[in-house]
Amino acid sequence: MIEILTNWMDLLPPAPALFGQLLVGLINGSFYAVLSLGLAVIFGLLNIVNFTHGAQYMLGGLAAYALFTYAGIGYWPALLLAPLLVGASGIVMERLFLRHLYRLDHLYGMLLTFGVTLVIEGLVRFQYGSTGSPYPVPASLSGAWDLGFMFMPIYRGWVVVAALVVCLGTWFVIEKTKLGAYLRAATENPKLTRAFGINVPRMVMLTYGFGVALAALAGVMAAPIYQINANMGSEIIIVVFAVVVIGGMGSIKGAIVSGFMLGLAEGMTKVFYPEASTTVVFIIMAIVLLVRPAGLFGAVTLTAAPEAETHATGRALVAPATLRLLVIGALLCGAILPLLVYPVFLMKVLCFAIFACAFNLLMGFSGLLSFGHAAFYGGASYFAAYAMKAWGFDPLGAVLGGGLLAGVLGVAFGHLAIRRQGIYFAMITLALAQMVYFFAVQAEFTGNDEGIQAVPRGVLLGVVNLANPLAMYYFVFACFVASFAAIARIIDSPFGQVLKGIRDNEARAISLGYETGRYKLIAFVLSAAFSGIAGALDALVFQLASLTNVHWTMSGHALLMTILGGVGTLTGPVVGAIIVAGMENYLAQLGAWVAVIHGCVFIVCVMMFRAGIVGEISAWFVRRHAMGSNLYPLQAAEPRIVVSGPAARER
Amino acid sequence: MRDAPGQPLLDVTELRAWYGDSQALHGVTFNVYQGEVVTLLGRNGAGKSTTLKSVMSIVSRRTGSIRHQGTECLALTSDAIARRGIAYCPEERGIYSSLTVEENLLLPPVIAPGGMSVEEIYTLFPNLRERRSGQGTKLSGGEQQMLAIGRILRTGAKLLLLDEPTEGLAPVLVEQIGAVIATLKQRGFTILLVEQNAHFAAGLADRHYVVEDGRVVDMIARADLAASGARLAAYLGV
Repeated sequence: MIEILTNWMDLLPPAPALFGQLLVGLINGSFYAVLSLGLAVIFGLLNIVNFTHGAQYMLGGLAAYALFTYAGIGYWPALLLAPLLVGASGIVMERLFLRHLYRLDHLYGMLLTFGVTLVIEGLVRFQYGSTGSPYPVPASLSGAWDLGFMFMPIYRGWVVVAALVVCLGTWFVIEKTKLGAYLRAATENPKLTRAFGINVPRMVMLTYGFGVALAALAGVMAAPIYQINANMGSEIIIVVFAVVVIGGMGSIKGAIVSGFMLGLAEGMTKVFYPEASTTVVFIIMAIVLLVRPAGLFGAVTLTAAPEAETHATGRALVAPATLRLLVIGALLCGAILPLLVYPVFLMKVLCFAIFACAFNLLMGFSGLLSFGHAAFYGGASYFAAYAMKAWGFDPLGAVLGGGLLAGVLGVAFGHLAIRRQGIYFAMITLALAQMVYFFAVQAEFTGNDEGIQAVPRGVLLGVVNLANPLAMYYFVFACFVASFAAIARIIDSPFGQVLKGIRDNEARAISLGYETGRYKLIAFVLSAAFSGIAGALDALVFQLASLTNVHWTMSGHALLMTILGGVGTLTGPVVGAIIVAGMENYLAQLGAWVAVIHGCVFIVCVMMFRAGIVGEISAWFVRRHAMGSNLYPLQAAEPRIVVSGPAARER
Repeated sequence: MRDAPGQPLLDVTELRAWYGDSQALHGVTFNVYQGEVVTLLGRNGAGKSTTLKSVMSIVSRRTGSIRHQGTECLALTSDAIARRGIAYCPEERGIYSSLTVEENLLLPPVIAPGGMSVEEIYTLFPNLRERRSGQGTKLSGGEQQMLAIGRILRTGAKLLLLDEPTEGLAPVLVEQIGAVIATLKQRGFTILLVEQNAHFAAGLADRHYVVEDGRVVDMIARADLAASGARLAAYLGV
C-alpha cells in the first residue's frame, strides 16, 4: 500500500513546481472570478453580455501604466483611480449606447459591446502597438515569502487575497444589504421596482459603471504580473465566457466559485499535461454542457425573455420575370467584372460573400448567433492548404473536403452549443472556436505564425490550371453561384420555413411537434459546411492558410458583413462582403485603424440600422409601395422591432 | 359622496393609453377625493388594470390628463409618481423571489413621514411575521397578497392603487382583505380599488366607476347602489 503510494508520488512533479503552477492557477482564477463576477452583475441588471469587459480590464491596466508613466502616480493610488476612470468611461458608454438597447434582444447588446471592443483595442494598438508594456511591482509588495515548500512572491499572494476580498465583498453587498435588495429587485422586475419610487435607470447606469470598474481593478492588479498589451483583454474574456457558461450568469456565487476553480484546473493541467493548458477550460465547458447543460450552479437566468421581434413576412422582392432578368444581369456582371477589377480582390469578395451567406443562413434564418464561425472558415482553409500542398489534392476535392471537414466540426460544435440559447449559444461557439484556434497555434502542420505558405492552386479536374488568375476567378465565381443558389434554395424550402418558424417563436414550433433541436443542428452544420467551402477557397486564392482565418476576429467579420448588409435578407450578406472586403483592401495601409472603423460600423449598425443596408432599402421600398401600387408586398427589414408606419398598416 | 367637494386628490380626464399599436383606453375620466375608497368595476379586459398602470406611468404611451393634488403628472416617470405619494399594488402581486419576505416588505423606499411601522404591518398581517425570513414567493397566494399590500403601507404614500386584491383568494381571505381595506380607510388612506367582485366592493367603496371598453361609462355612489342593482348587473353580467 505504502509502496503504491510512493510510486504514485514519484509521478508527481517536484513540490515547488507543483505549488508554483497551482499559484499561477490561483492567480488566473482570481482574475477569472473578478471578471465573471462583473459580467454576471452587469448581465443581471442590464441584460447585456458585456463583450467590452475584456477591453475594460485591459484599459484598467493601461490606465495604471499611463498614470505611472505620465504622471508618476504609483500603484496604490492607481488601484483606486484607474477603476474610477474606466468606470466613468463605462457610464458614458451606458448613457450613449447601451441605454437604447435594453428593450431589444440580448444579442444586440453583445454586438454593440463587441464593436466597442474593436474600437478600444484598435485605438490602443495604434497608440501602443501590440507589444507589452511592463509595470513594476510596488515596492511595498516586492519580495517573496519562504513558505518552506516554495517561495511565494508577496505580490501574487496579495492579488489572490485582494480578489477574494473583492468577490466576497460584492457578494455580501448584493445578497445581504439594502442596496443589494434594490439591485435584486430591479433585476427581477425593473418596472415594478421603479413604480416603488426607486430610480432604476440611475441604478442600472451605476451598476454598469461598477461592473466596469471591477474589470479595471482586475486590470490594475494584473499589470505587474502580465505585460499590458492591446490583446490581453480579448484573450481573457473568451476564457471568462467559458467560465460563465460553466458557472451560469444567474448566480453571483457560481461566477466566483467557478472562476477560482477553473483557474486551479488550468494550473493543474500545466503541471500534468502542459499542451492542454490553454484549452482545458473549454474542454471542461464542453463536458459540463454534455452532463449538465444548465451549468454547474443551475444557472437559472433571472432575466425574462426579451420581447418577441416581429419579422415581416418575406415575399418576393420583385416580380418573377424581373427577378430572372436581375439574376442574368448579376451573372453577366460577375463574368465581366474581372476584366475591369483586380481579380484577387474580387475573389476575396466572393469568399467573404459565401462566408457571410452561410453565416446568415444561421443568424438570419434560424435566429442563432454564432461567434465561432472562424473555426469553420479557418479550419477548412488549413485543411485545403495542407491537402493541396502535402497530399496533392485536386482543387475541387480540397474545397469540398474543406466543406466536409467544417461540416463535421459543425456537428460537434452544434451538438454542444444548441443545448443553450441566445447569448449562451454565442459564448459557447466563441469558446469552442477559441479551442480550435489554440489547436492551430500548437499543432505542427499549421506552421504556427507563418501559416501554410505557397499553397499550389493545382489543376482543376486535371484540365484547368488555376495558377491563371482568371481561371481561378471563374472557379471561385462558380463556387459562389453554386453556394448562393444552394443557400437560397434551402431558405425557400419547407425546411427553411420551419427554421424561420423556430427563429420567430421556438416554443410554438415545439408545440407544433417539430424537433427544433434537430432543425437547429442541421442548420448549424449546413452553415458550417458552406463557411468551410469559403475558407478552403480563401486558402487557394491567397495560397496561404494562416492564424488570421481562425482568429475570433474572423467570426466578427462574418457578423459584420451580415449585419451591415442586412440580417435575414438574401442579398444583404453579399453587399456586406463587398463593403468589408473593400475596407480591408483599401484601408489596409491604415493598419490598426481598420479594426477601429469596423468597430464604428458595428456600433452604427446596431444603434441605427439594425436592418442593414439591404433591409433598410427594402423597408424604404415597402413604405413607398404601400402608398402606391401594392402588387408585391416586399421583403422588409427582418430583425427590427416594428416595421410599421401608418401607411404600412393600411394594407 | 363627500361633504365638501373641493379639489380631488386624483383627477383623471380623458385618459387614453396604448400597448404598441393597440389602444387600450379610449378616454377614461374619474376622480378620487381625499379619504375616499373608489372602485373601478368592469368586465375582464375593460381597461381597469390599464387605468392603474397608466396612472403609475407603467404604460408608456398615454394622452389626456392625470392630476395629483392639482399637479399634472402625465409626463412623470413611474419613480417620480411613486415619490409623490402614490403606491401601487399590482394584480400579479409582484413579490420578488430573490428577496426574503422582510426584504420585500422593506423594499419600497420611504418617501414621506407618516407611514405605518413594520410592527404595525406585522400586527395587521400576523402571518408575515412568522415567515419574515422565508423566500417571498414561497408564501401562499393569500400571504403574498398581504405582503403586496403590506409593503406599500410603510412608505408614507397616502394614495393606494390596489389591483384586484381578492383575485383567486378563498372567501375567508377575501373577508380578511376587506377588513384590512376598511382599517386602512379609517387610518386616512385614500384607496383606488380595481375589482371584478362587485359584492366585495359594495361593502367598502364610497363610489363605483364602471369601466367598459376602455371608457368610464357610469358612476354609482354608495347611497344609490341598492337602487342601481339591475343597472350594475347589466354592466357586469356575462
